[in-house]
Amino acid sequence: MEGKQRSNVKFVFLKCGVVSQAKGSAYFEVDNTKLIVSVYDPREIPKKTDYSSKGELFCIFKYAPFSCPNRRAHQPDADEKQHSAIVKRALESAVCRHEFPNFQVDVYILVLENDGSALSGAITAAGIALAQAGIPMYDTITAATLAIQGTTKLLDPTLEEETLCTVATHKSDTEIDYDSHGIIVLAMLSTHEQISEFYQLGNLDLETLNESVNILMNAAKDIVPLVEKCLVDYVTKTLKSNAES
Amino acid sequence: MELETNVVAHAFGSSRLRLANTDVLVAVKIETDVPSVDQPDEGKIEFFVDCSANATPDFEGRGGEELATEISNSLTSAYRSTKAFNLSKLCILKGRKCWKLYVDILLLECGGNLYDAVSLAVKAALWNTEVPRVLSVNLDGNKVEMEVSENVQDCVKLDIVSAPVMVTISKIGEHCVVDPSAAEEQCATASMVVAISQDRFTTVLQSGSGSLHPSTLKESLKLGLEIGSKLDQALIEVLRQRPAKKQVGFLM
Repeated sequence: MEGKQRSNVKFVFLKCGVVSQAKGSAYFEVDNTKLIVSVYDPREIPKKTDYSSKGELFCIFKYAPFSCPNRRAHQPDADEKQHSAIVKRALESAVCRHEFPNFQVDVYILVLENDGSALSGAITAAGIALAQAGIPMYDTITAATLAIQGTTKLLDPTLEEETLCTVATHKSDTEIDYDSHGIIVLAMLSTHEQISEFYQLGNLDLETLNESVNILMNAAKDIVPLVEKCLVDYVTKTLKSNAES
Repeated sequence: MELETNVVAHAFGSSRLRLANTDVLVAVKIETDVPSVDQPDEGKIEFFVDCSANATPDFEGRGGEELATEISNSLTSAYRSTKAFNLSKLCILKGRKCWKLYVDILLLECGGNLYDAVSLAVKAALWNTEVPRVLSVNLDGNKVEMEVSENVQDCVKLDIVSAPVMVTISKIGEHCVVDPSAAEEQCATASMVVAISQDRFTTVLQSGSGSLHPSTLKESLKLGLEIGSKLDQALIEVLRQRPAKKQVGFLM
């Protein structure tokens, strides 16, 4: 954690169309974090009597039992439920929900290995999977995580860095006051310059928060070309194989 | 806004808050527990929100569950920072025994601005909470024996000054509005909730769907900080004015 700013060069791998049964799917790796997202066809909202003019998204964010240092139970815990709600909120503003009234689209996210920044990775990957599934969308959606401890800011932190940034530390041995710390997740639609989800934890002042918003927006924009390339590659590949057959 | 404290007889601390048409009842119960392995020198706090079907017919059955988890999750995030709420004071014996606070929140009536009302009521209830005074702790083999003061009045107050207060900011049309009513919430294109503890943010989240422009986001953060700090000061002032628990009965 010592030092000013760690190098922001990260290994990112993206692939869509990995689950043959799903309408759309994506596999996403950022450093050691690996996750898989599948999107299924719109279907009627189960157990619903009244008509809803907007379609719904049904998101499930799940850590695989073996994905974290401690085993995760099969039943979704409070953390996973919260993450599901965050992903849902983030995606809702990206999807043209009025195009499929009274229907719901299922988005399942499975984290295979959690080494930090799983939530932002899940949002980005879910955006790709939705696009591949042909769900009408306003824009590509990308997300980034920033962890802050004192004056150190870490983009796309690892699990260890995330844990370090959730606890408050003293400024120095003599001071009683705690230093600022926290984790911020931001999801945005870059063409429209709209922030669809902003989630912060910890203890930060306004100035740090404003600075972080700028850093996160740039980070989210940086992934857009990767997402676009991934989708374009998929389309050219499908067109080619269609032409051959 | 109406605020009452110490309203539930069987709770260690309680409060009832009425904010326009929103009515919230909060009660704090305390039990002993074993500290978690990750934080052996900290106590625990848990929030439960119950959306009573009396509030609105929508809450019937499992209707209010989603809202309830959303509110309790936001409270958990807001109270997570050590700077906002220090759990180490709730530890009795490191790694062996600690106090666990159960904060039960009952929504009696929903008239908008739930997050703000709930966070104020929770802070007031925690302010009102009294933890029994522990006189001595002995370790007998693997069993922890502790002696609690027999005098019911002999209690320890919690340090709640820095506990967070939440403010909902709704974007309606071109403007950002605080303290929205239920009807105004329906009109909002996007809403943000900020938790403020001593002029610093402990949690920021969006409630409901909708997206914001970065400049609107920054504007609403600033507005939220301003309102949150004022609200917090006002609440603490009111709570400080309250007289300490009266001595009742001839024996105590």
